[in-house]
Amino acid sequence: MSTTPATTSADTGLQIEAVNFAYAGTPILSDIRLDIAAGSFVSLLGPSGCGKTTLLRLLAGLDRPQSGSLSWQGRPLVGPSLERGVVFQDYSLFPWLTLSENVEFALSKSHPETTVEQRRITAAEYLGLVGLEAATAKYPFELSGGMLQRGAIARTFALGSKVLLMDEPFGALDPLNRAKLQDLLIAIWAGSSPRKTVVFVTHDLDEALYLSDRVVLLGSTPGRVIEQLDIPFPRPRQRRELSRTPEFVALRQRIDERFQQDLIDRIEAESLIASVAEGI
Amino acid sequence: MSTLADTAQADSAPTTILAHGNKLPDSPAAAPFRPWRLLHGREGAVFLLALLALWIVVSAGLSFSGSYLFPTPWASLKALWLSLPELLKGTVSSFLILAPGYLLAVVAGIVWGLLVGTTPALHRLFSAFSRLASPIPPTIYIPYAIALLPSFRTAAGFIVFVGAFWPIFLNTTAGAGSVPRRFRDNALILGLGRAEYLRHVVFPAALPHIFSGLSVGLVFSFIMLTVAELFGASAGLGRFIQLYADYADYPRMVAGILYTSVVVLLTTGLLERIRRRALFWVR
Repeated sequence: MSTTPATTSADTGLQIEAVNFAYAGTPILSDIRLDIAAGSFVSLLGPSGCGKTTLLRLLAGLDRPQSGSLSWQGRPLVGPSLERGVVFQDYSLFPWLTLSENVEFALSKSHPETTVEQRRITAAEYLGLVGLEAATAKYPFELSGGMLQRGAIARTFALGSKVLLMDEPFGALDPLNRAKLQDLLIAIWAGSSPRKTVVFVTHDLDEALYLSDRVVLLGSTPGRVIEQLDIPFPRPRQRRELSRTPEFVALRQRIDERFQQDLIDRIEAESLIASVAEGI
Repeated sequence: MSTLADTAQADSAPTTILAHGNKLPDSPAAAPFRPWRLLHGREGAVFLLALLALWIVVSAGLSFSGSYLFPTPWASLKALWLSLPELLKGTVSSFLILAPGYLLAVVAGIVWGLLVGTTPALHRLFSAFSRLASPIPPTIYIPYAIALLPSFRTAAGFIVFVGAFWPIFLNTTAGAGSVPRRFRDNALILGLGRAEYLRHVVFPAALPHIFSGLSVGLVFSFIMLTVAELFGASAGLGRFIQLYADYADYPRMVAGILYTSVVVLLTTGLLERIRRRALFWVR
């Protein structure tokens, strides 16, 4: 290998290089190039149909791109692994196991050398981290959506994954619970050591701005990177003050306009082709 | 003339609105008698009682006119009481055929169903045979099975097995093939091996389908069992019914039918209880 003196931050994070993905002939992702620094919180923001879930699945190793490559810390991804844990929107807990048993099951795979008793204690700790210490013996059907997502987050943390891939995890929750879980996520992310890398898929602009270090705008049909914006606001962020900050308002407006522009470009591109055909 | 407001504050006894808008006084003494109100919620029991009454009337009428084909409930119960020892021995004999056949079908159907449902290659291998063989009623194998297999017990057990296997297998395959994608994704991320995946994820996820198969399979088992016993058993519940039909001892025959029905209901009821406990997490 070459004798590169020091690795750049890009080498130690997630790298997506010229990735194309199609399903049944339909292009879903087109020429995606992204560098996500390790330890950063990055949101993938875009409307439905922009392939953000597909991109997340590629990062998880659950699907393979038709062309291009994805790598983590310089090594190409070969498949799913405990290193990259996923939190799905519709809960990833097994309904026939209690919360604790779900976490214990994950622990038995990530730390196979531990005993059953050790796992039970560790599971209780992780569930306590997300405020569910009283619900460890409950089954998913007895819990609300907010509690289930907390459980899913606890389980992914218990896996010890260095990368957290989250697919609109709070999308199905009411605004109050969504806000509480956003704060919880930021708190345990900030408290993680080493800092976990979070890739957070959402279509909620405010959520992306509140949570992330950087926002990647994805256009739709097919999905492609329109723009990337750094979110400079210092942490911890306060909702009330943030919404009054002029930079926040400007950023918000900029992103809105960017999406609008992209949409209009797409519409015009389609009508342009149609009108040329009519001319023939 | 009472106003609408007055009526709203009246007691719960209904008032009848006459065609020209006047109302009957709403005192309890004048409330109309509605006996069919009592039926509400008890229609099922009433229907059964009506059937029983029909049985009593028809059978009493027939026996009065000298026919013995349709015994009265009383005669059947008497015959049931007298035949209990024989029926109990028959139950043991029947279950000695049913239990091994059904339980073997449960194990084979679930294991093979889980494997076929999750392995495309096995599915392609087996599906043609499955489509051809599964609709065939195992009853048509009975004469051949009796001729081929060493004892009646093994022949009947084989027929029971085939009858239960296909519903269990087909339902398990369907359940295994419809495991939600997020569970598969979870298993991949956790790095589960094939056997672990089948045992810890596919099997629980497919349980609702599996239990459907088990219920249907149990019913088919009883059907196969009783038909097989009609053919060539020397003991058992189906044999009891056939024997007394041959002797034209209809009270005993009906007693056999009643008793066998109770046995089937208890057994399927037991499976239902197991199912409810196992599927406690299904919503």
